[in-house]
Amino acid sequence: MKTLTSLRTTLPAVCLAVVCCAVQAQEEWVSYRDAYKQMVVFAKYGKPKNFLQIHYEVSPRDPVATLEGLHLTLTGKNTQLNLPLDATGRAVFPLLKAAYDDNAVLALNRRMASYRFAPRVTILTRNDGIYESTDLRAACEQALAYQRFIDSSYGSKKCSGVRFVFGNRADALVQAKYGPREAPLPVVDGPAFDGETLGVYRTATYRFADWSAQGQVVSQNTPLAIAPLFE
Amino acid sequence: MRQYLFLAIASACSTVAAQTPATNPMPDGSRDMYIGIGVQSIPRYDGASDNRTRPLPVLQVQWSNGIFVSGTSVGWHLSQSPSMEFGPMLVLSPRRDQDGVSFGVGSVSDGTGARMAHSSFRPDEFAVRESFDDNRLRYMDVVKRHVLAGGFFNYYLSPKLRLTNTLTYGSGRDHDGARLHTALQYMMEDVAPHHTVVLSAGVSVVDRAYNETWFGVTAEEAERAGAKGYYRPGAGVQDVRAGVRWNWALSPNWMLTSGATVNRLVGDAKDSPLVERATNYSVSTALAYRF
Repeated sequence: MKTLTSLRTTLPAVCLAVVCCAVQAQEEWVSYRDAYKQMVVFAKYGKPKNFLQIHYEVSPRDPVATLEGLHLTLTGKNTQLNLPLDATGRAVFPLLKAAYDDNAVLALNRRMASYRFAPRVTILTRNDGIYESTDLRAACEQALAYQRFIDSSYGSKKCSGVRFVFGNRADALVQAKYGPREAPLPVVDGPAFDGETLGVYRTATYRFADWSAQGQVVSQNTPLAIAPLFE
Repeated sequence: MRQYLFLAIASACSTVAAQTPATNPMPDGSRDMYIGIGVQSIPRYDGASDNRTRPLPVLQVQWSNGIFVSGTSVGWHLSQSPSMEFGPMLVLSPRRDQDGVSFGVGSVSDGTGARMAHSSFRPDEFAVRESFDDNRLRYMDVVKRHVLAGGFFNYYLSPKLRLTNTLTYGSGRDHDGARLHTALQYMMEDVAPHHTVVLSAGVSVVDRAYNETWFGVTAEEAERAGAKGYYRPGAGVQDVRAGVRWNWALSPNWMLTSGATVNRLVGDAKDSPLVERATNYSVSTALAYRF
């Protein structure tokens, strides 16, 4: 009984002290292990993914949060890596056993509550800027299959198109071609990716239903990203 | 892929189904481990009217080969799909004596009072309870500690919604008690940075052997208690429960994990003469270190 009585009095005090210290020491970080668990699924995914790539995305949660000047760093006992973010907030995520075993963190130089952290699967860009329509459809199907693999609620969704994302309006020159028919895709301002509401990019959407499966899409400039669209 | 953390608690509340940690991809040869200590307030036994405060050891380890230790259960993740988890598991079922359910952690209070009163094997015939002992386990046989075999099957309806099923077999005096616990869990990660809240609601279904072990009264036990009859509960739904778990990652290594559960015994279990109160609650909080 003595042990229990002393536990009842001392344990809460010890817990409180530890909590206070921990809160004071809290920084803007994300557990590398937790991020690793999300990201490694794509690496181990065994179905076709030759048109796809995955990044770790930092996206603003509120309108005042920006990507400018944002730095993401992998920090551990034996690891110190800067993870450069592209214009859409995506970074190449290193899968490092040493960082995992060290319980490293992904540190942000801003208030963490203003940002979201998640894997982002996009379609690989081509240097020549020429995309066969059949490839874009296959890429979207690959992305949807992967999404279904990690989230069964995507079972009823279908591929509707792909979105070319640019930073500047001058770069957003994308043409769809089918035989003699040729037309520029309309450019609108909006978020880069499905499910996001913030961020203003110049986007050109290629909807599969509007074009033949045998055509081409030609982008004059390399887009920041090509996002699959599901509906 | 699931990042949700379920710190399973080595609780003295024995009949709570162990929660299995989510599928946990990691580098080959790595592991993810939490060890901690805290306090909990739990019913003396399922159906007891009084709670007791006890130390709460916390243990969860996951290895890259899929084997995990979670509280008092050991299992093996066999699924390769992130939306599904299944595999075999072993669970340590606790001992129950007249002091209540115990895993040998901390001390237990002594019961006092008069005899148990029950009169028939039919649940609805137990009408007189006023002369019950205030320790209804006093004349009951000891339920020994057992290792139960079983398995788990969890399915993610969406990344935030998980259906969990845990089946265990081997409980009870003759090692033939079976119990299936099914629950729906809703996981909220976005409440605030470093905070995760999991809401859950579940139901337990048991066979006759299980119910007889934990809620039945044999003729010998009834005789010892000076009661008129024995009580043989049948199979069916044993309890329904709702719970909330809140995990606060204080730092990359330290986590505060807290939980509260309300469960209500139903069916034959509820009508057992051992049951003083059909609705029980338990609360816990613990500090865990991530290695």
